[in-house]
This record gives sequence, structure tokens and C-alpha cells, in this order.
Amino acid sequence: MKLVSIIGIFGLIALVSCSDFLSVNPQSELTQEAFPSSPNDAFHATNAVYSTLRNWHYHSGGFPILDIMSDDAHKGSNPNDALNTVGPYDNFMHTTTQDGLDRWWNGLYQGIRRANVVIEKLPLITMDESLKNKYIGEAKFLRALYYFDLVRAFGSIPIVLTTNPEFRLSQSAVVEVYNVIEEDLRFAIKNLPLKKQYMPKNIGRASSDAASVLLAKVFIFNNNFLEAEDLLLDVIQSGDYDLEPDYYDANGPNGEHGIESIFEIGAISTEGGQGNQYANTQGVRGSPNRGWGFNQPSIDLRNAFEYGDVRKKATIIELGDVIDGITILGDSFTPDIVRDENGQIVRMEGYNRKVWIPGLSTDTQYGHNRRLIRYADVLLLAAEALNENNKPEEALIFINQIRKRARGGNDAILPDIISVDKSFLREKIHQERRVELALEGHRFWDLVRTQFAEPILAPYGYQKGKHELLPIPQSEIDLSKGSLTQNPNW
Amino acid sequence: MILSLYKSYSISFSERFTLVHIITFTISIAFLCCISPLYGQVKITGLIFDSESEEPIPGVNIIVKDKLNGTSTDKQGYFSLSIEENDQFLVLSYIGYKTKVVEIDTMSILRIELEQIVGTLDEIVVVGYGSLRKRDLTGAIGRLKSEDIGKISSLNAEQSLQGKVAGVQISTISGAPGAGAAVRIRGVGTFGNSSPVYVVDGVILDDIQFLNSSDIKSMEVLKDASATAIYGSRGANGVILVQTNKGSSLFEKPVITISTETGVQQLEKKIDLLDGKEFAIIANEIRAGTYNNVDVVPNTDWQDLVFTSTPQQNHQISIKGGNNKTDYYLSIGYFRQDGIIQPSSYQRLNLKLNNSYKFRRKVRIGNNITIAPFEQRVVPDVTFQLYRAQPVMVPYYEDGSFGVVPNVGNPLADIANSNSYNNGTRAVGNIFAEYIFNESLLFRTSFGTDVSVNKYKSFTPAFTVFNPDGSPSQQNNNFSDILKSNSFGYNWLWENTLNFIHDFSKVHNVNLLAGFTMQETRSEIIGLAGQNVIRDGEDFWYILPPYIRDESNNIDMVNSIYNGVDPNRYYNMISYLGRIVYSFNDTYITTLSLRSDGSSKFSEGNKWGIFPSIAFGWNIDQENLMKEFQDLDFLKLRFSWGVIGNERITYFDRFSRVNAGLQAIFGNPDAAYVASTYGKLGNPNLKWESTTQTDIGLEMGLFNYRLTTEIDYYKRITDDILVELSTPGHIGNGQGQKIRYNAASVQNKGIEFSLDWSDKFNDLSYSIGIIANTIHNEILEIGGSDGIDSTLIGGNLANGQQVTLSKVGLPIGAFYGYKTDGIFQNQNELDHYPHLSQASIGDLRILDLNSDGIINGDDRTYLGSPIPDFVYGWSIDIEYSGFDFSMNFQGQIGNNIFNGKNVVRPDPYNFEKHVWDRWTNEGSSLFEPKPSYGGYNYLPSDRFIHDGSYLRLRSLILGYSFSNLKLGDGNINELRLYVKANNLFTKTSYSGYTPEIGSYDVLSSSIDKGIYPIPRILSFGMTTSF
Repeated sequence: MKLVSIIGIFGLIALVSCSDFLSVNPQSELTQEAFPSSPNDAFHATNAVYSTLRNWHYHSGGFPILDIMSDDAHKGSNPNDALNTVGPYDNFMHTTTQDGLDRWWNGLYQGIRRANVVIEKLPLITMDESLKNKYIGEAKFLRALYYFDLVRAFGSIPIVLTTNPEFRLSQSAVVEVYNVIEEDLRFAIKNLPLKKQYMPKNIGRASSDAASVLLAKVFIFNNNFLEAEDLLLDVIQSGDYDLEPDYYDANGPNGEHGIESIFEIGAISTEGGQGNQYANTQGVRGSPNRGWGFNQPSIDLRNAFEYGDVRKKATIIELGDVIDGITILGDSFTPDIVRDENGQIVRMEGYNRKVWIPGLSTDTQYGHNRRLIRYADVLLLAAEALNENNKPEEALIFINQIRKRARGGNDAILPDIISVDKSFLREKIHQERRVELALEGHRFWDLVRTQFAEPILAPYGYQKGKHELLPIPQSEIDLSKGSLTQNPNW
Repeated sequence: MILSLYKSYSISFSERFTLVHIITFTISIAFLCCISPLYGQVKITGLIFDSESEEPIPGVNIIVKDKLNGTSTDKQGYFSLSIEENDQFLVLSYIGYKTKVVEIDTMSILRIELEQIVGTLDEIVVVGYGSLRKRDLTGAIGRLKSEDIGKISSLNAEQSLQGKVAGVQISTISGAPGAGAAVRIRGVGTFGNSSPVYVVDGVILDDIQFLNSSDIKSMEVLKDASATAIYGSRGANGVILVQTNKGSSLFEKPVITISTETGVQQLEKKIDLLDGKEFAIIANEIRAGTYNNVDVVPNTDWQDLVFTSTPQQNHQISIKGGNNKTDYYLSIGYFRQDGIIQPSSYQRLNLKLNNSYKFRRKVRIGNNITIAPFEQRVVPDVTFQLYRAQPVMVPYYEDGSFGVVPNVGNPLADIANSNSYNNGTRAVGNIFAEYIFNESLLFRTSFGTDVSVNKYKSFTPAFTVFNPDGSPSQQNNNFSDILKSNSFGYNWLWENTLNFIHDFSKVHNVNLLAGFTMQETRSEIIGLAGQNVIRDGEDFWYILPPYIRDESNNIDMVNSIYNGVDPNRYYNMISYLGRIVYSFNDTYITTLSLRSDGSSKFSEGNKWGIFPSIAFGWNIDQENLMKEFQDLDFLKLRFSWGVIGNERITYFDRFSRVNAGLQAIFGNPDAAYVASTYGKLGNPNLKWESTTQTDIGLEMGLFNYRLTTEIDYYKRITDDILVELSTPGHIGNGQGQKIRYNAASVQNKGIEFSLDWSDKFNDLSYSIGIIANTIHNEILEIGGSDGIDSTLIGGNLANGQQVTLSKVGLPIGAFYGYKTDGIFQNQNELDHYPHLSQASIGDLRILDLNSDGIINGDDRTYLGSPIPDFVYGWSIDIEYSGFDFSMNFQGQIGNNIFNGKNVVRPDPYNFEKHVWDRWTNEGSSLFEPKPSYGGYNYLPSDRFIHDGSYLRLRSLILGYSFSNLKLGDGNINELRLYVKANNLFTKTSYSGYTPEIGSYDVLSSSIDKGIYPIPRILSFGMTTSF
């Protein structure tokens, strides 16, 4: 009998083991089915789209390869550091498996996914409609920003507008990508407040002005100068923006969210979750040790500045410069000057002054607020659009406004430009863009979108019909099992 | 109870010489003073055999009644024993046989027969959820004899398995005190966690680091499906069964055993690096004028400055005994290892409590409990720094301050500023009850727990190493850092089994097992990090906001807070298991086993897995035909097949989760805002990995068991391997964020062989053991479906370069990179061969493997395997009139090592000595390129692939046992003194500290990124019992 009862208990135990015991939910973490579901979730999900901006990968895959590919800068750092990973971009030797391509691609699509969470899920939440549309507007602005990078860098790419895309997607034509960008930005312009309407604590969020300028930029990349002109002049005529009186502040800590800043990436001086490694990557690598020292300015860039231009010192840190009372010295193990066989200086150790943040440690560099759109860019884009639209006199106003500040009060230098010859002015505007926006990641795009790329970059190895675009990362081509096609000539 | 133990341990740990040590030492000394020879001794000899078969029985315990001195029979069933003249009775006992008391006859050789209890014929072997007669075994089980446990002075008892059990490969992860070892049984079965599970007295565990070797009675390694399938979803990587010591009714008078061992650890060998002058000469060749006078540069040997000889000690006292109703085993042990990089250390206290009690006649209850508090001090891993630090830098300036070491920092300063401690307590045990219905039927229920508490704390003061001119160097820490984390984990395991054993008319022997088990595993981790502690002293190592503050910015510096679970330790399981062993006429055996596991780690529909096995055994020696071979003691052929699982993934991989750890920065001034969004996609379709294993084995015993040998062929194919694969970027998971799939297959096959020979000439007895096994590891499949990759890249070096590529046809973690063929000797060669633009004369010539005229990433290829082809060991044991000598060798052949530490060179570092044989002009060197601080010649290539084969003298022991000693009125059963050497020498061509480079990550095996060296240990010890 005992046997029977024991077996009975045994059996009972087995039955009692209900399936509940085998259901264990993730601890301390939400699942995607349950998020976002409240106005607070919506707020957090919107913030997360911005978080991508401080992801190291967002900045052209981590290293400033756009400047390195241009005539403005070299790889930098120690000669051996990243020689085979970043080095090849310097002379267009990069390949389809080049380091960083996948990081940029993945970083941007991650940002797009985060935007899609807001755009797709917020309409299902019950909350204040205008706030909801503002959030969606912010997400659409950022999605457009990310797609704009993708389409410029890689050409025709898969378009993802949902949180749950197919694993196998084919590429969409470049024009379709631009249509998505334009649609997103139109929504953002309509639903976002102006920058000046933001409370100080919310400044840094996407504004209607930022969306207008970004759309204008998109138009200019597509040679649609008419529409660009309207958008840019609206922003200029609003009177909400001006140039910082001191050029240093255009990128420096004093001008953060200032009068010249249209859209910038907020960052706090800590390594990790709140900082931005963008400046650390380019920080002085010597004494003091502020960073990795990539993106060192070229001799050609140094020569591009007119005599006395205050922007030169605010763009390039030369060894021996004293900044905030600190003397900048090179890394003793690397040569300060590299000469060619004829004794000509081909390279000098120097660093990007625009990412400098006062301090001695590497941590503080993480606090640099990278300016993505600043008013000087707006003025120069407006000048370019006006010139292309045959309004050179109006264009001169803006380009000379830029040059005025560069004079630093010395009227003997950087004379106003007065010629109204369209192609002369076009070259002048691009020259001005170069020196005004140097080492801010604009130069390579500016060359590629105009006829200037081939004459200027060919000596560095640039090939027309190939190097306008980066190759689609080989890893993506492989993963696509045939649904992605490599860019021409790669 | 745990609390009070914890308290007392923390008190004793505050002393370098602990209480335990002092007590042990005092007792031992007292003891040595009291021993005196005993008079009236006679020697008796005897033979013990089975009453029915009349075969000798090896291993029978023989003790003098009421005395406790004793011995056991050898393989031929003989024993000899010294007794006092007035001793009258011997007590004989052996598992499976009735205990017998016999009268002593000193005049002749005793011939004693023992009677079986339930038709047992043979040695009893512990198997999963029970034990079987060895004769009935159909599975491949490797056994570590109790005398081989503890031959290696190590924290980790499983170290004793190395070179002793065929099919087991053990690679130490690091020589740091407290570091573990990667254990692989029959190759590498999966891309994830390939470690076996451990079953300690019935409790299923992931490791046995908490166990003291001296408490272990036996270790069995379950290798094939017939043996492991009863562990279902946890058996795929093998199972190691550990039995700890028990008391016994044989010891009515308690037996006290004291063992103590003290040793010294030292670096086995240094890495041969350039000295100061050599470095300066090379530096001048790289850049002329770097050093004006190479004869006056400093010469610092950084390795000499950091490595020291340090002590290791291990002490234990145990007491065991019992009577008809109860038996007990209690022990307390203390282990301390000071690392050869000071001040790293590890110390552990062990309390062991194994009891059982009989109630009436049918119920037995008992417990097996281990409590092990430990304290570990961790030092920064400076071995990579030692390797890189330039010898021309001084460690200290004249004023005593730390010298600047460019690019790597002064390793001495890093050590001096490190304060990292890991404290914890592990409590593992179970309480069981058995109900004996009758001789055939037994019900057992056991409830076990594994509780662990860990506290980690780390403090780094603010410090700066200054340049000679007073400016700060790159080695500094602006704010003091404090980090704390506490983790708590427990699981409970409730197991119920019903076991029926019956021999029907002595022909049909049946052993049936049915069981049901439940398990819950839980964990929690809390971590905090802060900066700028108000004072550096240990009294202030707390994260309390007012005291960790950045005054200039007026903010509290609590930098991060983490609270969550350990994703590997949060799940529930339910299992049903059953096994049938049927033996006909002791000749033909069949084993069927089946386990069904349900786990909360998997989604509805995939929760349950079924793991069957079937096996056949044929005791050929029982056939009439074979009876005429007198020398043949046994001969068995066995075959097994089965499917076993592996469920070791983090519990949440199936969920698509929200990433709540993001932040956005807005506002002027900048302020952080909470940000959450979709994290990477989960895969709800995940299921178990399943390993199908086939095994054919032959076992043989010859010449009265003098020779025993076993040979197995095995083939394991693991399917549905859980592997993280890249998915297309447009999914939006982010860089490097992979999704886990059941998407790979791996095959391991090989032959295992073991042979033991033992014999005796008069007083000299000796034995020789040899084990060997081959491993062939090959990936059969990875990925496959759309958008999922088909290669796994791993082996990340410090600069992000990856040097392993696992794909179909290659072994797991195969090395890949460029192939080189010598050096460009002249301009002609440079012009003739394709080369990278950076290459010049005197540099390595990288081969254009795809012959496209360009050297690029496509020219990289398979360079070697981290998995050895052949693993072997042999041992010799000799005993002669009180002396014992043992020697264990162990080694492996056919694996490669990637010298990762040599490849990563963003800055100018020191070089290995071979750089001295550099290329200087045409023909000056065929292999060693002209020196450079890094770059082209340091691209991952076959130049950094080294032969990982080695042969190591794992242990060398010489001991002497005193006999006929007396302590006061009582006898001393045993007093043995010994000296021991571990890792005395290693024969290898590899230049690093050790060719044994373990990794838990199978995609990064055998990559030397700078490993804490495994020390050589010379020790002296004593064991006594009375």
C-alpha cells in the first residue's frame, strides 16, 4: 500500500507542475510588445532617437573619414595607428571591407529604427495630439538626417519605414530616398516649434528652422536652388540667428546653443553614456594627451587661408600653440614634420582646434557639442543658391558677412568680394565654405556635389564615377545573399 | 548560521596566518613529538575472494577491529597488514558485499571469502542518479582514482583530471589566484558554453571551485550518450560526477585526518625580450638618433620587477566515523594562494558536513553540505604591459616616484594604485531521504541548494605619474574611482527517484530508474560606481553622495547604478527521467534511458525537449568460448547512441527587449534625459542544441587485472547550435548586435585510449598509466537562411583586429590572416611581387593567394587550429617499503597559438628577442623583417602563428609513509611526508609564458593576449590520520 501511495504522490507532483512554473518573464526589462504605451514612454522613445547622434558610429563610422578623404586633412594619429584601417581613406585606397563602413551603415540604420519606433507606435498612444505630432516631427527630422547621410555616402540603399522590416530588402533609387527625406522634413517643418520657442532646458531638440535648413541642404545637393533659396531666406529673414562675434565660439563651448547654432549635438564631459567621443577621436595626441589625434589638418588647408584670417588659428592647433594657458606639444615618438624627397614639408603635426574643450584630461573632450548646422553654413548655402539663381548681388551680402567676421576687426585683410561673375563667385563661395567650415565634415560632400571633386581630389587618388560614393559594406552585400548590389566600379 | 560563519571567517582572514593554519601546525608538531615505535608487531597477509565466483576482489577494505589501522586489497585480491600480537579480529568490507569479521591467524595466509549482497559481481560505478555494477555498464565513463585527486596543488579540483582521464582537455584560463580552467570533454561541441556540468553528491552545478580536493572521494567523467543522456539538456558537453567523502560504520572510533601542505610558487619562465641596449640599437635603426649613446641607456627588466616567488598553502582537518545508525564526515579546510604578481591572492575556507541517519529499518536521511567563504584580491593584468614596456625606462626616479613609461604606463604604478577585492561565500548542499521498501526497491528524494553571495569592490585613488620635468604624464587618474557590486544567486533542485533492482533467477538482472525533478535558479546583481571619494582610506570606500562629489561642478559623482539579474541564472526547469538496464546472464546488457526537460528559457512550443539513448554491452569473457583464455579477466564490447541537449543560453534571448539604458542630452547647460527604445530583436523560435553521439568501446583486463585497457571511438554531432549571427544592418539592431539562432552544426570525433599496468615484486609495487585521445573538430554548417551570415568572426585583439574565422569545413575558432613567404630581399623582388604600398625592402612578403595582383583582405586564409589533434598523458607510480614516487606527464600536439600580444602595436613598444636577428641588408635574414614599431609587418599573419604542442611534467611527488607509529595510547594509521613539484618543466617551442592558453570563448581560444603565467609550485606536505 505504501508503494502505491508513494507512487501516487509521485504522480501528483508531476501533475502539479503546471506550465506556470516554466514561464519566466524578463526581469527589469520591458519587452517591445509593451513599449511605448504611455505619454512618458513616448517622451523616452523620442529622446532615444537623439541618442544615436552621440553614438561614435554616427560620426562617419567613428573616424572623421570625410575630412580625411578630402584635401583638408590626413589620417593623423601615430603613423602606425589605424594605418590599415583608417589610413587607406586618405588616398582613396579603401576597399569594400574597409574598417568603419559597417559601423556607419549600422549606426545610421539603428537611428532610423529608433525614429521608426516613434513614428509607428506613437499614433497608437492616447495623448495630447500636438505633443504627439511634435514628437513624431522630431523623429522625422532625425530620420531624414540619418537618411541624408546614408544616401550621400552609399547612394541607393534599402528604405526602412517600419520597426519590423524584411531581412531581405532591395535598394531603392536615390530619388526615392530623397522623396522620403523631403516628406519627413516637410512634416517636421510643419509640426516642430521654432528654436526660439524652446525653453532653455529643451534647447537642442529639433526645430522647424533646423528642418528648413536641412531640407534646403537636401535641395542644394540635388541642384534645386530655387526651393533651397526660399527656405534659407526664410530662416535668415526671421532674424533669430546671427554669427557669433568671435569665430572660436561658432564651435567652442561658449557658443553652445548660441545665436549661430541651428542644430547641434548636446554632450556632457564624461566618457561613456552622456559624452560624445567625436572630439576625443580628434583630440590632441601629445602633451597634454586629450585624445587619439586623428584628422590632422593638411598643408593644403593651411595654405587655403588668406593672410590674417582669424579662422586659421581657430581651425588648426599647431605645436607650440598655447591654449587656455597650456602649451601644446607633440608626441615625442612621432615626427613633427614629414618632408618629401625634395625636402618639401608634406605633413605637419597639428590638430583640429574646433573640437577643443578646455581641460587636461581626455574626459572633458567628450563634452564637445558638435555643430551639425550653424548659421554660417546657412549664409553660405544661401549665397550659393542666390548665385545659382542669378542673384549675385544678394549672394555677395552673405558671403561678405562671413568674411567680415574672419577679418577679426582688421579691415586691411580679407577684402569684400565684389565680382558678380557667376562662375567666379561660385568658386569664391566654395573657397569660403572650405575655410569657414573646415574640419567640420562638409568639405568632401561639397566637392562631390559640385564639379570640383575631380580636379582637386584626383591627385589623392580620387576616381570619377567611383569615389563619389563609398562602397556598400561588403558584410551587408554578403548578408543580403544577392538582394543588394554594390555601387558602380567598386 | 551562514552569517556567524561569515563573521568568524572574516576575523580569521584578517590575519595572514589564520587560526586554522596555527591549529593545524600546532597539532602536527605536537604529533611529531609524540610518535614512538610500537612493539610486538606481526605481519599478516591474505587473499580475499568472492564466495560464489571464487574470483579475487580488489579494493576490499580491511581494518583491525577496534583499532582502525587497515589496508585494502590490490588488484589480485591480496593484502598485507602489520598488526599487534594481541589483535584478534579483522573487519572486511566492500561495496555490494556483506561486511565480515574474521579471526586473525598469524601463522598462515588468510583466505577469506566475501558474500555478495544482491548478486553484485563487480566494482560499483557511480552513474547519473545511481550506481551500476561495472559489468553492467554500457557507457564510456572515465574515473579518477581517489589517490590521484590532489596531486595538483590547485584551487580547482578538476585540475587533477588533466592528463589522467582520456578525452578530457583542461586549459587554465590564467595563473591568477582564483582563476578557473576551461574544461572540454571530447572536443568543442558548441560555439557557446562548452563546459561540462558537475554533479556533486547529486546537486547539479556549473563549477566545483568551492570544493576542497581533500573532501573528494571520486570523480567520474561521463562521456558518451549512454552515460550523459540521463542529464538531458545539460549533458551535451559531458558530465563530471563528484562524490565527496562519507563516514562509515567501519569507523566506530572516529578517524581524524590532518593534512597540511605549504609550497612556493615561482614563474616557470620569462619571455625573452630585448634589453635596454638592444632596444636602443633597434630604435636607432628605426629612427636614427633616437638614442645618442646606446651604452648609457637604462636597462630595466620589467618582468623581474613584477614577478616574485610567493607561498601557497593548503590545510585540512577531517573527522569521520559512524555506527549502525549514523555516519558522519566533517572537515574544515583552508587554502591560500598568493599570486606571483603581488598583491594578488586567493583564500578559501571550506566547511564540509556529510551525515546520514537510519530510522527504523527502512528510512535513511542525510545531508551533504559545503560552505566555502573566499576572498580574492585582484591585480590589474599587467603582463601585457610588461611585454610592451620599453627597457630603457626606469621604474623609479631618484626621488622614489614612479618613472614614466611611455605608451603603456608604469606597471608598478598601476599595481600600487589598484585595490580590487572579490569576497564571497558559496553554500552548496542537499538533504535527502531514502525509503527502502525492500531489497529491490528504493525511493529517494533530495532537496539541494546552491547559494552564492559575491561582493566586489574596487578603489583607485586619484594619482598622476609625473614626467621628470614635473608635467603630468598620460598615466593618471583625475578623480578617485570606486566601484562596488553585490551579486546574489541561488537555485534549488528537488529530485525524486524510484529505483528497482532485481535479479530474476540469476539470469535476468534488471535495474529500473524513474525520476522527476524541479529546479529554480535565481540571481540578482546590484552595482554602483562613483568618483572623487572624500578620503582615500579604506574606511571611505563607500558610495555615499555627499562624500563623492565634484565640488567644482557641484554634482554628486555617482556615475552609474546597475540593478538586474544574471541572465544566465534566472530560469526554471522540470524534468522527467527514466532508465532501464537489463542484463542477461551477465553477458548481454542493454541500457535505455530517456529524459524530458522543460525549461522556461524557451518559448511555448519549444519548452520541452526529449533526450533518449540506447546502448548495448557484451561481456565477451562470459562466453564459454572465452573461458579457456586464462589470462583474460574481462573483455567487453559496448556500443551507445543517444541525443543529448545543451540549454546554456541567457534566458532572455528569445525576447525582443527595450533598451532603457540610453540618454539624450538637451538644454543649456547640457543635461541628461532618460531615453528608451527598441533594443535588438530577440528570436522567439529558439530551442535546445542537440548533440547526437555514437560511441563504440572495448574494455579489457588481462593477467589478473595487471593490465587493463579501454579504447573508444566516438563521434558527436551537435545540431541546432545556438549561435549569434550578424543580421543585415537595415534591421536597425546596431553595429555588432547579433541575433541568436539555432543555426550551426559541429562534428567532433576521435579515438580515446587508456591503459594501466600495475604489478608487484616483493615490496616494490608500481603502476604505469597512459591516456591519449584524438580530436577532429569540424564545422558542418553555419547560418544558411536569408540575411544570416555563414561565418563567425572572433578572436578580437586589443586593437579590434579579429583573427579567427569559423566556417564550414574548418575547426571552431580557426585562425585566419595573411600568409607570408620570407622577406623582400631587394628591389627586384619588391617590383616582381604584388605588395601593399607600405611594404618596402626588408619587409615581409605577403602572398597574393587569390592571384589577382593585389594584396588585400581577400588574401587572408586559414592559418591553423586552436584545437589540438592529440591530447595525452602518462604517469608512473612506484611504492617501495614506505616510499612512494609518482610522476605525471601531460601534453598535447597539433594546436596553434596566435601570439596576439605581439601584433597590437599602435605605439613603440619593446620587442621579443628574435627581433635582434633582423633583416639589415640583402640576405641577412630570411624570416625576421627589418624592425618597425608596428604597421605593415604586424598585420595578422602566419608569422604570429606558433606551434602550441607541449609536454609538461605536471607533477612529481616523492613521499614516505611511516609505519608502526604510536601517538600516546592510540595508533597512528598513517603518517606520510612528501615533497611535490607541479609544472616543473614544460617542453614547448612557444615563446610565451605558457602554451596552455585557455578561454571560455571558443571563438577566441589559444590567443595569447598577455596571460597571467601559470606558476611552478614546489611544496612540502604531511598527511596523517589516527
